Amino acid sequence: MIQNTRDETLGRAADLATRWSFMMPSIILLLVTLAYPIFYTIDISFSTFDITTFGAGEWVGWANYEEVLNDYRFWDALKVTLVYLVIALPLQVTLGFAIAFLINAEWTGRGMVRALFIIPMVVAPVVAGGIWRMILDPLWGLMNYALQSISIGPLDWFGDPNLAMAAVIIIDTWRWTPFIVLIATAALLALPKDVFEAAKIDGANWWATLWSIALPLLIPIITATFVIRWLGAVKMFDIVLAATYGGPGKATNVLNLFIYEEAFRSLRFAESSAMAVIVLVLTMVLTGIFLYGSRKLEKRF
Amino acid sequence: MGTVDIRNVRKSYGNVEVLHGVSLHIEDGEFVALVGPSGCGKSTLLRMIAGLEDVTAGDIVIGDRVVNHVAPKDRNIAMVFQNYALYPHMNVRDNMGFALRQRRTPKPEIENRVNSAARILGLEHLLDRKPRALSGGQRQRVAMGRAIVREPNVFLFDEPLSNLDAKLRVQMRSEIKELHQRLGTTTVYVTHDQIEAMTLADRVVVMNGGVIEQQGPPLELYDNPASRFVAAFIGSPPMNFIEGTVIDASALCLDDGTKLQLPMTDLASQTRVTIGVRPEHFELSSAGWPATVSIVEPTGSETQITARIGGQIVRVLIRGRTFVRPGEVIHLTVPADFVHIFDDDGAHGIQVGTRGAKKYA
Repeated sequence: MIQNTRDETLGRAADLATRWSFMMPSIILLLVTLAYPIFYTIDISFSTFDITTFGAGEWVGWANYEEVLNDYRFWDALKVTLVYLVIALPLQVTLGFAIAFLINAEWTGRGMVRALFIIPMVVAPVVAGGIWRMILDPLWGLMNYALQSISIGPLDWFGDPNLAMAAVIIIDTWRWTPFIVLIATAALLALPKDVFEAAKIDGANWWATLWSIALPLLIPIITATFVIRWLGAVKMFDIVLAATYGGPGKATNVLNLFIYEEAFRSLRFAESSAMAVIVLVLTMVLTGIFLYGSRKLEKRF
Repeated sequence: MGTVDIRNVRKSYGNVEVLHGVSLHIEDGEFVALVGPSGCGKSTLLRMIAGLEDVTAGDIVIGDRVVNHVAPKDRNIAMVFQNYALYPHMNVRDNMGFALRQRRTPKPEIENRVNSAARILGLEHLLDRKPRALSGGQRQRVAMGRAIVREPNVFLFDEPLSNLDAKLRVQMRSEIKELHQRLGTTTVYVTHDQIEAMTLADRVVVMNGGVIEQQGPPLELYDNPASRFVAAFIGSPPMNFIEGTVIDASALCLDDGTKLQLPMTDLASQTRVTIGVRPEHFELSSAGWPATVSIVEPTGSETQITARIGGQIVRVLIRGRTFVRPGEVIHLTVPADFVHIFDDDGAHGIQVGTRGAKKYA
């Protein structure tokens, strides 16, 4: 009897060891690549930055945060980021699903168009920024040439603050809408066909089918896409870097570019770490609120 | 008027023709079952009546109107789908009222019609539930309710019971039959289950390979199958087939040399034929076709015996109980009226000796 329980304890220990040994590699990998940088950043954000050890120096508490929050440039960058998010995200998601809905219909050449849609995603963001810089060039860019033929312009895409923001959003939309089209196409294909046939027999027209059947069925996918895109958009950096470098003035200076500038140009690592932590917390809170809201929305349908 | 007239209808997908000219007239109030193996074109035909598939050639007439190019919603039909096709985000009430809302029917009338359909189907207590909170049988009932509410001229059912378990299927089968008797609406019902077709329909249409093999009242098909295919398809357990060559007008020589005396005397000698006998029409006797018993399966009310006649397997259904044992040789006789003879033309063998009808005439 006693022998039995001892065997059992041993067996359980061996089982536990096996489990942990299987999990260990990924745990270590996650700790090294994810947890360490985060804690390193948090550590620096509460300290002075010691350039000789390239690590945290003296503990200064909330001082870095105070300085950041009192810096009008931080608030400006935050505002620019929010403007970009509020315009770009709904635009991309709406456009993505609309295009998917259209190219989902049976027509010749559909496969070709689908293939073409992949291209923007595989172009490196910096290259995309460069290409669009040329397209939007005020003097010899294609865009102004095209606009001129319908008597608009010439527009100073990178000189005017509002137009520069528009340019960034256009480039970002060009790059990311295909990704949403791809997800939306898969979602549309996965929708049950017979429900739409039932709607057809029930007399639903195109609009009713879209509004009363397709959209409610797509709500979970739309919200999921929104979250994925939102998490990507918060990190917006590369396109701005290549296309406008935050200009003109600070009109397109998104937070990440500002953080990058502060850290690696002005060498104010402690303050930029504080900003990075603020962005992290803000993102987490907003994502939480968004997920909560979307779950509510899903329940309504 | 709920008549449906299908006139020489063909359907092709690209170069592949799946319906090769089907003609069928359905009377007002009639319950017609389209039955056949998968791929025989029965669902395609139903979907063409519904307007979900184009008509390649021929005409489909509902009432007195050719509907080939009429949109599904304007055909005044209602369809019940195999997977129910309920709108998952709407509750039962909204599911049933959707079609009426699309037609801008006044709210109180929608309410009335949904409630009365719910009453007929016993769904009153489920009206506020979403489809996912319903059992399979309840979903099926909601799908039928959605059809009833529209008060259509024709009901179309596309294998509505195949997703239900056996017990529920039998129950829903009687509910559908009761519903039809109560409403008297023309019904076209597609199924691959011959029992469903036999029990429900006024007329059974057996399809195979894109053509109608035979149509008629259920028992007519059972008694007088026009072809070997229909004979094999209708009836459970299926009809036995014994192949051989006729020698001297009333005897059959099987491939292994066994000779069977036939109860008829008018067959052309030296022709290849297939003899068809339903399991329930065999009788045990002291003289007759010798068969070696291999399996005996008693079910209480009847006993199924599997035996071999000259190397060919036959199933025999005996009412009540029997004390036959495996390995034993039994003798089987069949009254002449129950012997079907098909010419030897593959699965489409045509009945040449029609005897069954006399028995019931």
